[in-house]
Amino acid sequence: MSEKGEVDLTGAKQNTGVWLVKVPKYLSQQWAKASGRGEVGKLRIGKNQGKAEVEFTLNEDLTMIDGLGDKPSGVQAPRDHPFTMQTVGGQTLAVFTETQSESSKDRISLEGLVVQRAECRPAASENYMKLKRLQIEELSKPVRLSQQLEKAVTTNYKPVANHSYNLEYDRKKKDEGKRARADKQQVLDMLFSAFEKHQYYNIKDLVDVTKQPVSYLKEILRDIGIYNVKGTHKNTWELKPEYRHYQGGEEEKETDD
Amino acid sequence: MASLGGSSSSSTEYIVRVPKNTSKKYSIMAFNSGDKVNCSSWTQARMERDMSNRRMYGVEETEEGAAGSEFGKKQREEARRKKFGIVTREFKVEDQPWILKVNGKAGKRFKGTKKGGVTENASYYIFTQCPDGAFEAFPVNGWYNFVPQAKHRTLTAEEAEEEWGRRNKVVNHFSIMLQRRLREQERGPDDDDEEGEKGGKKKKKKGGRGGDLRIHDLEDDLELSSDESDSSGGEDGDSKPKKKGGDVKGKGKKKKKKRGSDSEANEDSDDGDFEGLEVDYMSDESSSEEEAGEEKAKSNKEAVPKGIDEASESEEESEEEKQNEEEGKEEEEEEEGKKTPVQTKKKRDSSGESDTSEDSDIDGEAASALFMKKRTPPKRGGGRGSGGSSRTGSRPGTPSIDSASTSNTLRAAASKLEQGKRHVVGGSSESPAAKRLKMESSSMAVTTQSPAPSGKSTPQPPSGKSTPSSSDVQLTEEAVRRYLIRKPMTTKDLLKKFQTKRTGLSSEQTVNVLAQILKRLNPERKNVNDKMHFYLTE
Repeated sequence: MSEKGEVDLTGAKQNTGVWLVKVPKYLSQQWAKASGRGEVGKLRIGKNQGKAEVEFTLNEDLTMIDGLGDKPSGVQAPRDHPFTMQTVGGQTLAVFTETQSESSKDRISLEGLVVQRAECRPAASENYMKLKRLQIEELSKPVRLSQQLEKAVTTNYKPVANHSYNLEYDRKKKDEGKRARADKQQVLDMLFSAFEKHQYYNIKDLVDVTKQPVSYLKEILRDIGIYNVKGTHKNTWELKPEYRHYQGGEEEKETDD
Repeated sequence: MASLGGSSSSSTEYIVRVPKNTSKKYSIMAFNSGDKVNCSSWTQARMERDMSNRRMYGVEETEEGAAGSEFGKKQREEARRKKFGIVTREFKVEDQPWILKVNGKAGKRFKGTKKGGVTENASYYIFTQCPDGAFEAFPVNGWYNFVPQAKHRTLTAEEAEEEWGRRNKVVNHFSIMLQRRLREQERGPDDDDEEGEKGGKKKKKKGGRGGDLRIHDLEDDLELSSDESDSSGGEDGDSKPKKKGGDVKGKGKKKKKKRGSDSEANEDSDDGDFEGLEVDYMSDESSSEEEAGEEKAKSNKEAVPKGIDEASESEEESEEEKQNEEEGKEEEEEEEGKKTPVQTKKKRDSSGESDTSEDSDIDGEAASALFMKKRTPPKRGGGRGSGGSSRTGSRPGTPSIDSASTSNTLRAAASKLEQGKRHVVGGSSESPAAKRLKMESSSMAVTTQSPAPSGKSTPQPPSGKSTPSSSDVQLTEEAVRRYLIRKPMTTKDLLKKFQTKRTGLSSEQTVNVLAQILKRLNPERKNVNDKMHFYLTE
């Protein structure tokens, strides 16, 4: 990981110039569908009476627009896209890349500087208009829809003798049985080990941990612990000061009763 | 394909490819062209994500582990947050800003914040030309605006607001940052964690008042070298002499310290930058107030004349004013710290009350005059705040050796007066009366040393015990005598008689002059209704 953060400056040193082109969304979607080597079209750069003309032509096979749900919508993407060239003044734009390889070494490298900005516009054509209309239709659909139902829904709440989950709960309870009072020493052991992990416990949590009946547990707790009524740890039990030893490594302090 | 179109046009066609499955993610690094960033000039660069916004899960909460933790705390906290609908935004690494460091530690630093909304409606692609002539287009993943990070210190928003309020008064802007640095230094040794400026100030205040600050600059220097106490007092003392020297010596240097403001009036810390500066001489420590004061006076005097020589012609008024002010104030504070008699406190109180007013300057000077014996005549007029009265030769050009003795007597006189008062007056009225008398006596001291010209009139050259101000229309000894013969009056009554509007003096001057006159007249005292009245019988 020593390389992490180190920026590879070869692109900057070579002053590689790149173009920053703003491309419409539908076009980038079409490009994503490109197969093979990724050829998407042709760029024609010409000089017409001194002015540079740049035009991008989309490949034929990429003109099928998918409508909703990936089915062909019957609309074709326009093919011709002239580029509008713009200057880069006001901002110095550099391009950097992050490479995430399998070895999880993030390499950042500076690819180059932007020398030209361009906007890819579709040439106004029937196709484009249709495409736009399709887009607008999709967008104008409300996200939420009110729909009237013919019949009332009857499948939701049915009266039931006893809910399924209730039954399960009862069964679980029966299986577990009443909590038996274990040996006091054992309970103390459990308590101390529990308090090793956390300082404050709710009585319910302690019951869970020790599986003891509440009253029995409370008696034991009254022996070795104190009950916090006020303060940040409301209604929690903690060990008495003489029993606890929280300082980095905890030690158990047991008493023999 | 061949060219098409008219004869004047020629075009070449290139194939555009959009490579798939590249592990490289392209992003834009945008610099403002005003920053004049030239990427090719970078020798090396490091860039990392700025993780300072990451809140480690549980870091903000109570500590894990046994002590102090509850069973199931995490779950409970989470459930609670859900109940209240608090949604904490997930920390996404890709959205965090970049920190770019160019040319190593000494080079520039940039912070790149991600610009939102770039990829929402349109996609940006980077077209690069491949060796085979085809273009390859890569989609841009993110746009980061990089701004250079200031290496120099800047003020926080609160500080900036304060300074904005004082912008008309402050002439020396260098001192603003200096002040801040000193404050930070002060804070550093005291408490590393304390970040808040307010906290730092408080600490300093305490240190300044409660600590046993020696009055003397240079002796503090000695003190510090002998005992490396961490107390702010010690530190203050140490840097103080240097600072004094520095201030006086190099007005052009950036190390000017401005202490005029209210909020900084309590500051005592000084800049360690002045460590290497020469100091005129070291004096021995002395514990007695007077001696210390004397020494300080002497040292001040030493330091100051040098400064005068250098910068006698074109000194900035405010600088001087402030320095005087600050000296005055700092002396006051030191006095206090030394458990000085009530006098000091009163002095400070009185000056503290009128901090922002012009009078504060005078008060400060009065204090300094009384205790420091150094504040010789030149301090006159005590600079009308930022109004900027002209101060000709306000630095003591004359050695004030005799001023020491003078002030000694002054102090004696003051204490005598106070004692006299104490005997006569009851307890409750003692303080205000004593305070007033203190003020008067001290201002008398000031006036004896330096005439107090009225703010409006031109400052007169310092002279001995001259009667203050020529524009003194009605406030004469005769007038006072008349009043006192007629009936006993309190000082307040007397002041009322000589209203500032009528006499043309400022209230401060009125007080000074009146005190002087009273001293000369030495009227009898009578206590009527718990108030000290003066009267004369001729």
